[in-house]
Amino acid sequence: MSTGPGGETGFPALTAAAAEAAIPRRRRRVTRHAVARTLAPYALIAPTALAIGAVLGYPLYLLGRLSLQQFGLAELILQEGPWIGFDNYTRLFHDRQFWTVLLRTFVFTFVNVGLTMVLGTLIALLLTRLGSFMRLLLTTGLVLVWATPVVVAVNIFRWMVDFEFGVLNWTLTELHLGDFLNKDWFADPTTGFAVITALIVWGAIPFVTIMLYAGFSQVPEELVEAASIDGANGWRVFRDITFPLLKPLFVILITLSIIWDFQVFNQIWLIRDGEPEEDYWLMSVYSFVEAFRLGEYGFGAAIAVVMVGVMFAATFVYIRQMIRIGETR
Amino acid sequence: MRRRYIGALALVAALTVSAITAAAGSTSPDRQNATKIVIWLQNDAESNWASVVAATNQAFKARHSDVEVDVQYQTWGDHLTKFDAALAGGTAPDVIELGNTETTRYMAARLLQDLTTARGSFPNSRTWLGALTDSCTYRGRLYCVPYYAGARAVIYRKDQYKAAGIKSAPKSLAAFRAAGNKLMKKYGKQRNYSALYFPGRYVWASLSFVYDYGGKIAELRSGRWVGTLNSPKAIQGLKALKATVGPLSRANNTGDEANPQQALVFSKGRVGSFIGNGWEWPYALDKKVGNPSLANKMGAYAMPSHIKGKFMPAFLGGSDLAVPITSRNKSLAYDWIRTFTNNAQMRQLATVGKVIPNTTTLTSIHARNPQLAPFAAASKSSYFVPTAPNWVQVENARTLQTMLQSIFTGRSSVEAAATRASSQITNILNRRT
Repeated sequence: MSTGPGGETGFPALTAAAAEAAIPRRRRRVTRHAVARTLAPYALIAPTALAIGAVLGYPLYLLGRLSLQQFGLAELILQEGPWIGFDNYTRLFHDRQFWTVLLRTFVFTFVNVGLTMVLGTLIALLLTRLGSFMRLLLTTGLVLVWATPVVVAVNIFRWMVDFEFGVLNWTLTELHLGDFLNKDWFADPTTGFAVITALIVWGAIPFVTIMLYAGFSQVPEELVEAASIDGANGWRVFRDITFPLLKPLFVILITLSIIWDFQVFNQIWLIRDGEPEEDYWLMSVYSFVEAFRLGEYGFGAAIAVVMVGVMFAATFVYIRQMIRIGETR
Repeated sequence: MRRRYIGALALVAALTVSAITAAAGSTSPDRQNATKIVIWLQNDAESNWASVVAATNQAFKARHSDVEVDVQYQTWGDHLTKFDAALAGGTAPDVIELGNTETTRYMAARLLQDLTTARGSFPNSRTWLGALTDSCTYRGRLYCVPYYAGARAVIYRKDQYKAAGIKSAPKSLAAFRAAGNKLMKKYGKQRNYSALYFPGRYVWASLSFVYDYGGKIAELRSGRWVGTLNSPKAIQGLKALKATVGPLSRANNTGDEANPQQALVFSKGRVGSFIGNGWEWPYALDKKVGNPSLANKMGAYAMPSHIKGKFMPAFLGGSDLAVPITSRNKSLAYDWIRTFTNNAQMRQLATVGKVIPNTTTLTSIHARNPQLAPFAAASKSSYFVPTAPNWVQVENARTLQTMLQSIFTGRSSVEAAATRASSQITNILNRRT
């Protein structure tokens, strides 16, 4: 999580400075070395902490402040809105649409992270078994996918499922799987989300695969060999040796995927031409529409704050686990 | 990794707002020796009457040789989002084109320069089109200058009509449907052929059916707006719409008239007719993107009502030109508008752009031209959106698009979709702004 601890990192530096001031003069000479040693790490981290505070902490503070104001078009021009306490939040929590969107976002995140991790793992396992030429080919493909800008990827997918000219529609029809000519994938949100999920999972797999492949190649071969001699099949080797060894890596990848997929915006916005139907609203789209389309900046900010909160909660477990893993090592 | 940054849009949004807020603090006082004015026009001008804009700039430069004119073309989809941000940031243009359904919100928020006392200095200000002048007037004050108007009519393929045995322009909705069925019989075997190309999110043409049957979008009842799309008459209109479009159109139910441009779909040959603006006729014939060989095969007629011999009320669309209060070059902005809307330019706009000019003194241009007359006829019976300050937010929320899409895809019944849209409209129109 990059958004979290930004605001707090300045703290210890302050206490250290205070401690230095409190040291009596005559002992200063003796302890100068020790003090410098205590301060050094804080001095080194200070620029980073400042940068994080400036680019993440401050906007987050502004977002929180905005969410407590009545802020519409008129206020935007006056640049100051009246304080209304938690009215925006009360309204939000009484809005049925909010709960629908939140649930949809959870389901969406779950499906996308699940598919990304399963497919990513399978392809990474495949990579370990391939000969060097095929491996190079597959890796190159993965990197190319990774390098494709979102806007380009969205347009490619849009053309593939285009109402009139979609090559996917044509292929499915040619394969006699039914009449898919003039199939409107987005008329029904289930098929629409299937396309969006394919797009997002497709774009997310390379990172997961390459990271996992790097991890798999670090698993000591003797362990795998010993297990095989003992009669373990591939699945057991994965479950009892590879996975436990690489658990920290999996935790990090899952956490990052949750963060990415929970806040998907671009793909949906672009694939629906900047006019996504309500059935396609995820939290980020909902927040954007309320703030920038309907001009309810305060209300939109409240949605964004809730989103940040939910993300903190969802990733907290994993962050804690990561810290624990760090401690036992 | 990129996604994390792009996706954290809410944060970026907050940043933008704050950056804008910070930047706006340093607004400098009115400077008359400024050397640049910024004009926001919609891209319709760029693709259909760029020559008029160029001539205007030339005439303007002849008087103000030291002033640079920067015309920036915008799209309907996002120009208001940009405008709001620019207003807050003090980077709003000196002149902005606003759709006639978009003005009320900005007039009510006092964000446009009051032009009431300057009215007489604008060309033809006594003979401006009434409907457009109304869209520029709020509580008796004038906040913008009418630019042009447009009403939609049926644009069709004469050759296909003839081949299908349709002898004259249909005089009633029933006759229109019968003609459509003939076309489908003759050409329907071609993949994607539509007798009437009508994408599912085509709001302005769809609502004509509602108004034709006596329905309305919303009405003011003792100080409170009430959405009325679920009234029996409106439902009747929506059902007639579905019954007409369903069998005759194979257009995308989740697309709209601009994506892809319907005139260009028409130009590819597999469309018998579509409901379009005057400027879409020449656009279909465009040398680069259209098909010039259709020049002698095209015709137009006003959409017939379900009552024989009458026309269906057409949406009276149009644009106005306004000067945001933040402009530092107001007198130059006024002068640019005067140049753009003078008789010479308006005559050009009517002939080149095929739209209805802003003054009644020039409407004869349309009446005399067979290519323009049907649109002028259509504009005589017209409907308009509720004049509520929040109306534009109904457009921004895409409430009507969503309703139409649910109706055409059959995801919900006409009644359910209309009731849902109605309550959303009631909700948005009564929000405090």
